[in-house]
Amino acid sequence: MTKTEIRVGGLGGQGIILCGSIIGKAAAIYAGKHATMIQAFGPEARGSACSAQIIVSDEAIGYPYVRRPDVLVLMSQDALIQFAPQIKPDGLVLHEEELVQTAGKLPSTVRALAIPATRFAEELGRRLVLNIVMVGFFAGATGLLPQEAVEKAVLDSVPKGTESLNLQALGKGYDYGRALLA
Amino acid sequence: MKNTELPCIARLRNGKSATLALAEASDGALLLEFYRSMSEEDRLVLKDDVTTAEWLDRFLAALHRGEALSVVGKLDGEIRGEATLYRTLHGWARHVGEIRLNVDRSARGQGLGLELARHIVKLAIDRGIDKLVAHMVDSQIAAKRTFEKLGFHKEAELPGHVKDILGKKYDLLVYANDVSYIWSAMESMLGDFRPDRATR
Repeated sequence: MTKTEIRVGGLGGQGIILCGSIIGKAAAIYAGKHATMIQAFGPEARGSACSAQIIVSDEAIGYPYVRRPDVLVLMSQDALIQFAPQIKPDGLVLHEEELVQTAGKLPSTVRALAIPATRFAEELGRRLVLNIVMVGFFAGATGLLPQEAVEKAVLDSVPKGTESLNLQALGKGYDYGRALLA
Repeated sequence: MKNTELPCIARLRNGKSATLALAEASDGALLLEFYRSMSEEDRLVLKDDVTTAEWLDRFLAALHRGEALSVVGKLDGEIRGEATLYRTLHGWARHVGEIRLNVDRSARGQGLGLELARHIVKLAIDRGIDKLVAHMVDSQIAAKRTFEKLGFHKEAELPGHVKDILGKKYDLLVYANDVSYIWSAMESMLGDFRPDRATR
C-alpha cells in the first residue's frame, strides 16, 4: 500500500486550506486515488495559524489524521517550528523561500526544497496566487499526482474569471519543482 | 502546462479566420503599416500620431517595460486590428488599465474588434488590473457597443475634451469596467475557505 501523508501549514489568508483541498481533489477525483483532508485554523479568518492534513493513498484510508508527514508544504516560519518535529526521517519539506528559513531547523536526513513563490505570484500579477504556486511546486517536486489531474482540480476550485492566472501560477510552481529535481 | 490562450484563431462572421497573438517587437513594421494605411477619418481622434517611427519606438519601449500589452489580429499575414492595454506600474493608478482598440475599416463588423477586446480584457485581469477604462467619442457607435458587451459602462463625460486632427472638438466618454470583484471572490475564498461550502 502506497500512502503519503502531507501537512500544509501557514497563516490564515494564505490559502492553506484551498491548497490542501486542491491536492486532495486532484488525487481523489482526477487521479483515481483515495484521499482525506482535515483542516484546522484559528478563530480569525486571516493571520492565525492554519493547517491542512491530507492523506493520499492507493487504497482506502482508515484513519484520516496525519501522524508522521512524508511531505510538509510550508508557508510560514511558525508552521515549520510546529510541524518540523513530526516529519519522517526521510521526509520532504517544500517551503516558500522568503517566508520560511529551514537552516538548522531540520534533521539532516530530511530534504528541503525552497521556491520564491511570493515573488512568482507577484510577477504574475497577484500575490493571492501564492498558494497555487505552492500546489504546482508540490506536484512538480513530488511527482505524486499527474499534472493534468492537478490542473483539473485547480480549474474546479477557483472562482470563475481567475482560471487563467491560477493555471499560470500552477505551471510556474510545477516547472520550478521539476527543474529542481532534474 | 497551459499558460495563455494566445496565439489563437478567431472565426469571423464572414467565415474568415484571424490569428490573434501578443504583439512583439518583430511586429513593429506591420503595426506601422497598419496604422499608416488607415484613412485620416479613422485617425481623427486617436491619442497619438501612430503613423510615425517615433510613436513606434515609444510603443515598443512601453511593451518592453511592461507598461503596454498588445494583441494584434492578423488576416492573411497582415495586421487588421490591434488592442492595447496601457498601465502604469507605480503610483495611485497602478490598478487601472486603459484599453485602446483599432480595427481596419475592411475588417469591421466581423467580430474582430470584440475578439481583440475580449482577449485584452482577460489579459488585463490576469495581470492584476482592478479597473479598466476605454476612452471614446459619442460617434464611435461600434466601439461603444463592443465595450458594453464586455461589461463596460459610461462612467464620465468630459465636454470638449477631445480635439481631432482637424481642430474640431468632441465630448470625451469614459467607459469603465470594475473587474476587481473577480479576484475578490478568490480573496474571500482564501480567508475562510471551507471545501464543503465551496461554490463556483
